[in-house]
Amino acid sequence: MPNKILFLTLKVFAATGGIEKVCRVAGKALYEMAISKDATALVYSMYDKQKDADENRYFPSEMFRGFGTAKIKFILSSLLKARSCDTVILSHINLLVVGWMIKKISPSTRIILFAHGIEIWGKLGSRKKMMLQCCDSIIPVSQFTSDKIQKVHQIPSNKCRVLNNCLDPFLPLGKEKSGRDIFRKKYGYTGNEQVLFTLTRLSSKERYKGYDRVLHALVKVKAQYPQIRYLIAGSYDPQEKAHLDELIARLGLDQHVIIAGFIDDAVLVDHFTMADIYVMPSMKEGFGIVFIEAMYYGLPVIAGNKDGSVDALCNGKLGILVDPLNTEAIEDAIERILENKQSFLPDRELLMANFSYENYKHKLETIIEQP
Amino acid sequence: MCRIAGMVDGKLAIGDIENIVAEMCQLQKHGGPDDGGLYTSESDHLVLGNRRLALIDLSSEGHMPMKYQDRYFITYNGELYNFLALKEELIKLGHEFKNHSDTEVILAAFSQWNFQSFARLKGMFAFALWDNDEKELFLVRDSAGIKPLYYSYNNGKLVFASETRAFAPVKETQENNRQWPVYLMAYGYIPEPVTTLTSVKPLHKGCFLKYDNSTKNISLQSFAHYSYSQKFEDAEEAKIQTAKLLDDSVKRHLLADAPVGVFLSGGLDSGIIATLAARHKKTDLNTLSIYFEETDYSEKKFQDILINQIKCNNYQYLLKEDEFHDSLPGILNSMDMPSCDGINTWFICKYAASRGLKAVLSGLGGDELFGGYPSFNRIKAAILLQKFPDMLTSMGKRSGFKRLNRMSYLRMDGIKGIYLFLRGHYSPFEIARQLDASEKEIWKILNDQPVLTELTKLDDKNQASWMEFNLYMQNQLLRDSDVMSMIHGVEIRVPFLDDDVIRYANKVEPSIKYTGPRTKQFLINTFYDNLPEQIWNRPKMGFSFPFSKWLNSSLFVKELMENSNKNSQVNYKKFMEGKLHWSHMMSLIILNYRKAI
Repeated sequence: MPNKILFLTLKVFAATGGIEKVCRVAGKALYEMAISKDATALVYSMYDKQKDADENRYFPSEMFRGFGTAKIKFILSSLLKARSCDTVILSHINLLVVGWMIKKISPSTRIILFAHGIEIWGKLGSRKKMMLQCCDSIIPVSQFTSDKIQKVHQIPSNKCRVLNNCLDPFLPLGKEKSGRDIFRKKYGYTGNEQVLFTLTRLSSKERYKGYDRVLHALVKVKAQYPQIRYLIAGSYDPQEKAHLDELIARLGLDQHVIIAGFIDDAVLVDHFTMADIYVMPSMKEGFGIVFIEAMYYGLPVIAGNKDGSVDALCNGKLGILVDPLNTEAIEDAIERILENKQSFLPDRELLMANFSYENYKHKLETIIEQP
Repeated sequence: MCRIAGMVDGKLAIGDIENIVAEMCQLQKHGGPDDGGLYTSESDHLVLGNRRLALIDLSSEGHMPMKYQDRYFITYNGELYNFLALKEELIKLGHEFKNHSDTEVILAAFSQWNFQSFARLKGMFAFALWDNDEKELFLVRDSAGIKPLYYSYNNGKLVFASETRAFAPVKETQENNRQWPVYLMAYGYIPEPVTTLTSVKPLHKGCFLKYDNSTKNISLQSFAHYSYSQKFEDAEEAKIQTAKLLDDSVKRHLLADAPVGVFLSGGLDSGIIATLAARHKKTDLNTLSIYFEETDYSEKKFQDILINQIKCNNYQYLLKEDEFHDSLPGILNSMDMPSCDGINTWFICKYAASRGLKAVLSGLGGDELFGGYPSFNRIKAAILLQKFPDMLTSMGKRSGFKRLNRMSYLRMDGIKGIYLFLRGHYSPFEIARQLDASEKEIWKILNDQPVLTELTKLDDKNQASWMEFNLYMQNQLLRDSDVMSMIHGVEIRVPFLDDDVIRYANKVEPSIKYTGPRTKQFLINTFYDNLPEQIWNRPKMGFSFPFSKWLNSSLFVKELMENSNKNSQVNYKKFMEGKLHWSHMMSLIILNYRKAI
C-alpha cells in the first residue's frame, strides 16, 4: 500500500454534480484506507475554498486544502507535495497538465486519472493526448467510458481499471415511507396514479437526458393508462423550461406532467419513494448515479443503452435498457412495467453487490495497491 | 460500564471458542463485577462475551449480551447519554422495548438505521453487534475514543476485547511487539495504533469494523470525526452556548441508577463539573478528593473552598506514603498497556469504590478543548523552529539539557515532531543508549508510527488542541482513566467530551476560546459567576502527587533497579539525584518490571 496519496480535484464540496459526488465518496474511501493501512491521504481542490470542507461528513477537513481558484498556488503546491507522494490521483482530465508536470519532476510517483464521461470521450488535442499517455492508470467509471477512451485515445486496455460509481454511504435508508403520501398529495396524486420520475439538470445546452422523448412516449401510454403521471425534477434554465412547457402543451399532456424545479437533497428520498418508475433514456451519461439511487429506493428503472447507463443497470439485469432514440421502445418499456411492476423491481442483492460503498472501497483499494 | 470480548473462527469448534471467550471475560472481570454472559451462534462459530458493571437498569433485564427481535445481539461497554431521546424517536417509528437499558436502544437504533445509527449515538461506547440474519458483525467505537476496543484479524478469524490482556488465551495473538519500549520511552505511553502485541490493533475512534461471516472479510468505515473550523466569532454567544452545552452534558452524564460522584482536584475543570453537577443532583451527589501530608502537593485548601460552596456529600481522603508503597506493585499489575502515569487515577477510583460509587465524573478534556496546557503557548515557536534546517536541531541532540535534547525531534515532519519536542520524554539518542540499539533504528521506529494527518491549514493553537486531543489525551489520559477505573469496578465519565461540547468548541474562533491572560480564561469568563476566585486565580497543578519523593524512597523500585541492566541503573541514579523526571523513571520501572529490557 502506498504511504502517501494525494487526490487532486477541481471541486469537492462547492458543487453537487456527479463528479463532485465521486470526489467526496472517493475522499472518504481514501481517508479510511489511510487509517487501515497506516498511510496518509490528502485532498486538494482547485476551486473549493478551505471553508467549504467545514463540517462535511466525508473526511476530516484537516486532510483537505481548498485553494479557492488560486490556480497557480494549487499547481505549485501540488507539485511540491507530490514529490513526497507515492500516488497522485487526478479527479478530472482538466488536471492532466498538473499530473504530467508531476510525472516530469517525480517519475516514480504513480499518476491515476479518473475518467467520467463526456469530458473525455471526444477527440483531444495532440498535447493533451500525449499527456494522457503519462498516466500510469486510468479509472473509467463505466465500461462504456473505458471502451471509448481505448478506441478514441488509443489507451492500452491494461491501463484501464473500470470502477463504477457507488451509492453514497450517507444516503438515508428510506425505510420511513411516511414521506410517500405527503409528497404524492403535494403534487396532487391522490388516487391510483402511476408516477414516472426523472431527476436531472434541465439544460437547453445539453438536451441528452431523454425526457423529451419520454413526453412523446407518454402520448400513447396515457391512452391505455390514463392514470399515468410524469414528474420532471431538477434545476432548469428559462429556455429549457419554455421549450418543455410548449412541448407539453402541444402534446396535450398538461394534466399529466409536472415540472417540479430544483429539489433539495433533504427531500430527495421522499421523491424517490413517492414515484413508481424512474425513467431517463439519456445519451451521454458517464455512468448515471441517479439510476442506482432510484433502484436503491426500490424503483424499476428505464435507461438508455447507448452510454454508461448500461453499467448502472448491470447490462439490463437491474432494469430495462432501451434505444434512447426510439420512442416506441420507451413506450413499450413503460407499459411493460405498468402491467407487472413486481417483476421489474430491481434485484437488491445484485444492486448492493455491485454498487455498495463497501464494494467501491474494496475495488479502489485494489486499484491503488496493485499497479 | 463493562468489559467485552468475542471471537469468530470458522475453523475452531464452538465449544473451544466458548471456552476462550469465557476466559477472556474472566481476565477482565474487574471491569464487570456485577454480571457476565455469553452469546453463542453455533452455526456461525461466533461467541460474544460480556462482564457487566451495571449503571443503567440494574435489573437482570440489563443482562448482556442482549438481544433484540431475535435477530440482533450485542455485547456493549459504555453509556449512551442521549438514549432517552433516541428511545422516544424509535417508539414513534414503531419500536417496542422490553427493558429500561440504553443497550436496548442501541439495538433498536441499529435495526432502524443499520450502520447509519452509529452517528446518532451520543456517549462513550465500544460494542460488538451481531446481525444474525445478514450474518454480519459490527465492532464500533465512539468518536472521541473514550472507550477502548482492540481486535486481531487474521485469515478470516476475528478476535476482540476491551483490554489487550484479555487476548492471552488466544495463542496466535501473543507475539510480542519488540518495538513497544521505544514508544514508551519516547511518549510515556504507547500511541495508537501500536500495541504491545504485533497482531492486535485498536479500532480507530469514530469507526466501525464490519465483519462479513460469509466472505470472512473485514471492512473499516468511519461514521464520525472531529474537525476544526472558525464558524463562531461572537465571544458573548460562545460563552452562553458553552455554558449551556456543558450544563446539558453534565446533566446527561449524571444519569444512572447507581450512586455517582465527582472528582474534585481543586482545579478549574473539576470545579466547573462539580458546580454544574450540584445544580442537578443535590441528593446523591458525592465529591471525592485526595490530599497529602506533603503540603506542597496538597490541593486541600482549594478543594475545601469548592466543597463549602457546593455543600454535598464530600469525601476527602488522605493518601499517605505507606499506602503508596504497598500499592505500587498492584498498580503496575493493573496496567493493561504500559503507561508512565495513571497512578493518581488508580487511587482516586479505589476510594470511589470504597465509598460505594460506581461512576465518577471527571474534568478530563477541558484542557484539550480550551487551551489548558503550556504547549498552546509554545507551539508557535515550535512550528517556526521546525522550519530550520537539520543542522540547528541536531545541535541539541547530545545536550544534557532536557529541552535541548528533544530539539532533535523537530527533524521529524509534521505535528508528531512538534509533539515529541514539546511533550516527549527521552530523546532518540537516550532511547538508543538505554535499549542498546542504534539511533538510526530508533528514528525509523518513531517515524513509522503513528502516521498523523497534516495540519498546516489549522490555526497554530488549534494544532496544539488537535495534538493534545489525539495524542496525549487519547493515549495517556483516556486510557489511564479507563483501565485504572475499571480495575476497581468504577466508571469514569467525561462531560467535557460530550459530542455536542466537542463539536461546538471546535468551531469557536481560536482567539475567543484560547483568549488570555490566564490559561483557560474563556472557561473562567463563562463560569465566572459560579466559581470562587481562588479556584481560577491560582497556578495549575492538576492531580499532582508527591511521586518523585515517594518513588525515591521506594524499596520496591530500588530492588527492581538493582537487578536491572547497567543503562537502567545509570538512569536510576540520575533520578535519585533529581536529574530525571519521575514519569520518565516510571517508564524504566515498567520496562524492568515487565522484563522488556
